[in-house]
Amino acid sequence: MRRAATIGAAIVALSAIGFAVLAQSETDEDLVEGLSFLGEPVTVADISAGQALYAENCASCHGAELEGQPDWRRRLDNGRMPAPPHDETGHTWHHSDWNLFIVTKGGVGAVVPGYESDMPAFEGILTDDEIADVLSYIKSTWPDRQRKFQAEVSVNDKGDL
Amino acid sequence: MTNSTLNFEPDRRHFLALGMGAAAVLVLPGAVRAADRAADIRTLAFDGDTLLIAGATLRASLDGGRSWQERPTPSPVSSIATHPARPGRLLAGLARGGVAVSGDGGSSWTTRSDGLASGEVTALAVAAGNPDMIYAAIRGDGLWKSEDAGATWALAMDRPWLDAAERDPLTLVSVDLDTGMGGIWIYAGTEKGLTRVPDCFCRWQDVQPGNAMDALAAGDAPPAEAPLPADEPVLSLASALTAPSKLYAALPSGVWASQDGGVVWTHKAEGQGRAIALHPRDENHVAAILNGALKLSRDGGATWIALAIA
Ligand code: HEC
Repeated sequence: MRRAATIGAAIVALSAIGFAVLAQSETDEDLVEGLSFLGEPVTVADISAGQALYAENCASCHGAELEGQPDWRRRLDNGRMPAPPHDETGHTWHHSDWNLFIVTKGGVGAVVPGYESDMPAFEGILTDDEIADVLSYIKSTWPDRQRKFQAEVSVNDKGDL
Repeated sequence: MTNSTLNFEPDRRHFLALGMGAAAVLVLPGAVRAADRAADIRTLAFDGDTLLIAGATLRASLDGGRSWQERPTPSPVSSIATHPARPGRLLAGLARGGVAVSGDGGSSWTTRSDGLASGEVTALAVAAGNPDMIYAAIRGDGLWKSEDAGATWALAMDRPWLDAAERDPLTLVSVDLDTGMGGIWIYAGTEKGLTRVPDCFCRWQDVQPGNAMDALAAGDAPPAEAPLPADEPVLSLASALTAPSKLYAALPSGVWASQDGGVVWTHKAEGQGRAIALHPRDENHVAAILNGALKLSRDGGATWIALAIA
């Protein structure tokens, strides 16, 4: 069974970074404990879909291991910033779900008007659900401290950023 | 500098750093002496009620500017920073590079530059909500941060990009206003104006009205803005710890103030502004270097008195 195999692989991957997977027999969905995106629960299948989408769409800039571009705190010669890591060494976890969603869908200019950046807008390339899956995957890699911090930022974001 | 200037001030080593004309000194020694002392000042700070003025030298006044005590400096100071939760602790960004800290109001100093890039520290700030979090801007390099009051340093962010080039922060201030990213803002003045970065260091950006995105989304008229004059450097910034949306700025055109975190600015005083500081417990108690003189306002910049630096 393909689905079972995927989930099995995801469980191995997830337990390797240390968090529990909660089996929800009544919905037949495997919800990831302690993880949500824009208030919606996240399933193991979402994360594995997100992982594949990340590899295809984001890894070329943000790194296969979410490590970002080399020397990412230093500007490129064109004045733009390199792609930052999406793991806990970067600043992605400081942004609310809503902010991450808008940045991914619309580019950085969608949250900072007039800002020039090499981050593409994924509107028309990924669906809203796919964007949510990629970002859920990114969130699933964070240690507890970063996930708690980001959960709080998300709760406080009234959607104005 | 010339021998005749030195004759007037044999006790003042820092005179060597000044480029004042000897002729003026001969005509008006007393006035020029006071003006020199102010011209020498690059930075102001309050350590509680103590007013500190620093540049090639450091002076402290415990009585609102009536009398001054000279204190040692490790080397010429470009920027001085304090925090009310650490009375007597001064942090100095040094013009020849490095950061020094004093725990006794400036009587003694130790350097704290482990891991910090070399080069002039153009600006220094303490995080409003964390007295051990220090930010330093290094000329030609970037913004560095220390989470342990200067003991260790790490690069936080490159310099801001304004008008097609990287610009040195000439002044930095931690502004205790929510970024919506779980932290607060750091504002910087540059030769090309004002900019700011969230303390997670994701990106430098213009100061925008908090509700600009809402207005954009709703198709409403954008909120009112009255930015600082373009084409003027922002030389010094101060934020009121007691009222964080209240900011002051010193520019070549004078002293400016904002009540809303830097969206709308009003001109508070004319003259060549150089440095500005706010009392930690009174946002209307402002010290500034204006037209080469030290000035004090107790009413938020409406009226000013000149202080002699003796
Ligand atoms: C062509 C290179 C490139 C690709 C592909 C790319 N990004 Fe980015 N991304 C960037 C750059 C560069 C930045 C930094 C922008 C800046 O601050 O100037 C960035 C920033 C971001 C940020 C903001 C992070 C923060 O903390 O501020 C998010 C979120 C993000 N990217 C998500 C994604 C996702 C999700 C994908 C894949 C769907 C993706 N990016 C693909 C280049 C890329």
